[in-house]
Amino acid sequence: MSDRRFMNEAVPDKGDRERKSDPSPGSPQQQGTDLSRRTFLAGAAAVMGMFAVNSCTWQEFIQNNFRRMTKKEIDETTERLKAEYREKYGKDFVVGTESPIDGTLFAYALDIQRCIGCRRCVHGCVEENNQSRDPEIQYIRVLRFKDGDMDLEHSDIYYNPDEVPQKGYYYMPVQCQHCANAPCTKVCPVQATWTEPDGIVVVDYNWCIGCRYCMAACPYMGRWFNFADPVIPKDEVNTETHYLGNRPRMRNVVEKCTFCIQRVRKGKYPKCVEVCPVGVRKFGNLLDPDSEVSRIIRTKRVFRLKEDLNTQPKFYYFFE
Amino acid sequence: MKGIGPILIVSLLGLAVGLAAWNGVLVATPAQAQQLFQRQPELTEILTEPLEPEGKPGEEFPVPFAPLPRTITPCRACHGPEKDFPISHNRREPLLIHTTIKLNHGGVRVWCLDCHHPEQRDYLIPLSDGKLIPFDRSYLLCGKCHGTKFRDWRYGIHGKRTGFWNGTKTYYLCVNCHNPHSPRFKPLEPMPPPHKPWTPKETAASEGGWKP
Amino acid sequence: MQRSGFIVGAVRRLVTGPPVYYVWVFFLLALAGAGITAYVKQLQLGLIVTGMTNYVSWGFYIGNFTFLVGVAAAAVLLIIPAYVYDFGPIKDIVIVGEALAVSALIMCMLFVTADLGRPDRVWHLFPGLGILNLPRSMLAWDIVVLNGYLFLNLFIPGYILWKAYHEQQVNMRFILPFILLSIPWAVSIHTVTAFIYNGLAARPFWNASILAPRFLASAFCSGPALSILLYQVVRRYSRFHVKDEALQKIAEMIAIAMAINLFLLGAEFFKELYSDTHHLSPLQYLYAGVHGKGRLVPWIWTAFTFNIIAFIIFLVPVTRKSFATLNLGCVLIIVGIWIEKGIGLIIPGFIPAPLGEVWEYAPTGTEIMVAAGIWGIGLLILTVILKILVPIETGEFTKSTATAS
Repeated sequence: MSDRRFMNEAVPDKGDRERKSDPSPGSPQQQGTDLSRRTFLAGAAAVMGMFAVNSCTWQEFIQNNFRRMTKKEIDETTERLKAEYREKYGKDFVVGTESPIDGTLFAYALDIQRCIGCRRCVHGCVEENNQSRDPEIQYIRVLRFKDGDMDLEHSDIYYNPDEVPQKGYYYMPVQCQHCANAPCTKVCPVQATWTEPDGIVVVDYNWCIGCRYCMAACPYMGRWFNFADPVIPKDEVNTETHYLGNRPRMRNVVEKCTFCIQRVRKGKYPKCVEVCPVGVRKFGNLLDPDSEVSRIIRTKRVFRLKEDLNTQPKFYYFFE
Repeated sequence: MKGIGPILIVSLLGLAVGLAAWNGVLVATPAQAQQLFQRQPELTEILTEPLEPEGKPGEEFPVPFAPLPRTITPCRACHGPEKDFPISHNRREPLLIHTTIKLNHGGVRVWCLDCHHPEQRDYLIPLSDGKLIPFDRSYLLCGKCHGTKFRDWRYGIHGKRTGFWNGTKTYYLCVNCHNPHSPRFKPLEPMPPPHKPWTPKETAASEGGWKP
Repeated sequence: MQRSGFIVGAVRRLVTGPPVYYVWVFFLLALAGAGITAYVKQLQLGLIVTGMTNYVSWGFYIGNFTFLVGVAAAAVLLIIPAYVYDFGPIKDIVIVGEALAVSALIMCMLFVTADLGRPDRVWHLFPGLGILNLPRSMLAWDIVVLNGYLFLNLFIPGYILWKAYHEQQVNMRFILPFILLSIPWAVSIHTVTAFIYNGLAARPFWNASILAPRFLASAFCSGPALSILLYQVVRRYSRFHVKDEALQKIAEMIAIAMAINLFLLGAEFFKELYSDTHHLSPLQYLYAGVHGKGRLVPWIWTAFTFNIIAFIIFLVPVTRKSFATLNLGCVLIIVGIWIEKGIGLIIPGFIPAPLGEVWEYAPTGTEIMVAAGIWGIGLLILTVILKILVPIETGEFTKSTATAS
């Protein structure tokens, strides 16, 4: 029993305010071509006989890109996913499809001066976002630098002393930077990844073909590939999910940080903000001049990682 | 039910820390502390004072209760009308009592009575408005010296807030993270580092893993 | 009747041949079988069976793909003198080069498919049905140009052979525009493939404007070198006549292409070494190793040595004209370029990772088996095409001979 744990536990939030967010309807313009698409794919699927080896169901095979789905298709899909997850994890899941809140553009700020490198965010994120434990996927890498050095090639993410912060070092967590000019979404050959109107870069795990071009394109290593079937312990799985966020993934697709889309679209802070014991993680709406991030940008010195690449991240590091 | 567990843990730990470190005299076991801490999670108070000139008048922001409940700091038991223990106005001179408190705040500039009220021992010294500051509003006093930090904290830039980015937030108070007698943030044990990725056998053998 | 005559004739030609032909075909079938077995394992378990990680997310498959795009593109080198400068000796044999291009293209597509995590979702790429992200994604462009090139390389020889089979004159006014179109198209497939890597600012090793020219220069070495060997095999085992003159001309072109390739490599070396920024790190990893890690160092120096020796062989008239040394040069070039462009280009792009970590890559057994299988399938396709194509071209296999027998 030390103050360490105390710092860790947040005073719980009131959580009683429900956002009324309507599920986002896919654009209905595609309905016409839909029938022919299905007919064709029926034939294609039969010929390819891919089901056996890839263990994917018929409905999963013909599933459309999320942005082209009609409201009805979205409902069918989420119902199917819920049934699938219930069978796999023995729990009832929520698979939300909340659309962006009007007038929001999310951004993140991180006080690089005060981060102590304790990795609470890394592990909080893994639990919240149902990341595979084996093979291990962790959206956040905490880089340790020697004082006076910011050379990425000298950084270390495997440090493991008894206590942090260590004298003579500082820490810089790196995750998806949710770039406004994202190289990853640009290169995707099938538009399986895109930037939502509220600035979150998401992946449609059921549309991704697994070519990993986005991983080659990302300068921040913000993307992860499920090289094998993800493993999440049944008792640790988070059942509050979003279609574009932390719903359980399948093998051979790319995933990434979504600013906890399942939380932030309901008004909550991302998990990493909530678990940070030193409060260096700040999140909010760039379009609101009173939000934490807007004030930080106005009043603190901020920088963005690899600004020379013109990726225009919405992830600001700040200090005084 | 779900919400109570963490609250209890927080309050317990808060109490333990608060009591052990601040009071120096009264040491409560966690069980006692639990008994003493009866107030249920009506979590936030609303503070309505305008906090700075540019702040909108009547602006409100919620704060949680301090980890130290009012009822169990009976400084008055010794420093009150009943028993008026003498107080020392001498700076940086060891006291006979309160010896467990190691003051490590502000170097040589700060001494007990720079914060604690000499007469009203259940309170901290007032701001210029003369109103006494109870312990659970200690951040008002902190802000007296740490003005810019206080401003940043008030806007959520310094310190931790949880809850809703577009709604009700829970603030962590200064004393949730900084022991006022020794404000430097205490080191933590880091959580485990990531696994190293698969690497060709020969490399792994010759290298013994990657080193910075 | 006509068609069944062709099919019967073709099948008969495929199943007959000297013993070495059977050995060769069974060897390729065995390779293909092993590859398919390994691929099924990969489908069942995921890409975890490969050596790829989140750090080095492309490897052996994409390396082979890149090399083979070069081989396919090099068919253009044969077309340019053949048709534009009307150089007879090469014109006669260009059709074999196109067969090589077709099989190389099919291997390219197989390698990309093997690299895909979700081949069951490949329909997401079909325009109309899925979403092909044009014009933004270079990979989408590559799919377009590769398929276009495959069409051209099937259509042009297909038309010529159709006419030959029916013992008719080729209508040059009809086919020439396609032939001319295939020249810039061949340049485009390799340029667009280079742009796939070139466009990624996250990977300084690739993000150099010199990449596309280097790709072309090296392609113009490896593709023709492969063709020289292939022509010798073809003329040995068939009545197809290939003049030494033609092979010599190709060898001269290789010498020029290799000179350019080495010059561009030197230019790149100068820029990185003299400016000495962090963009040097991947090159340093490749040629010297960093943090004590340098799996690729022996490979790349082997490639470098091979390329230099081959360059000298092709440059000096005596060695160029002797078939013993010429063939040695061809083998050295093929191996050299395969290492340089397959392994040596793709893998160091990921090392060090964008956040500075150095994690090495090596293909696993499964990966190598899948790759060998794809080579097996590709060479089998090439063998089958040549087995039918060459007799048509020599006039042994025509409509009249097919119906007569």
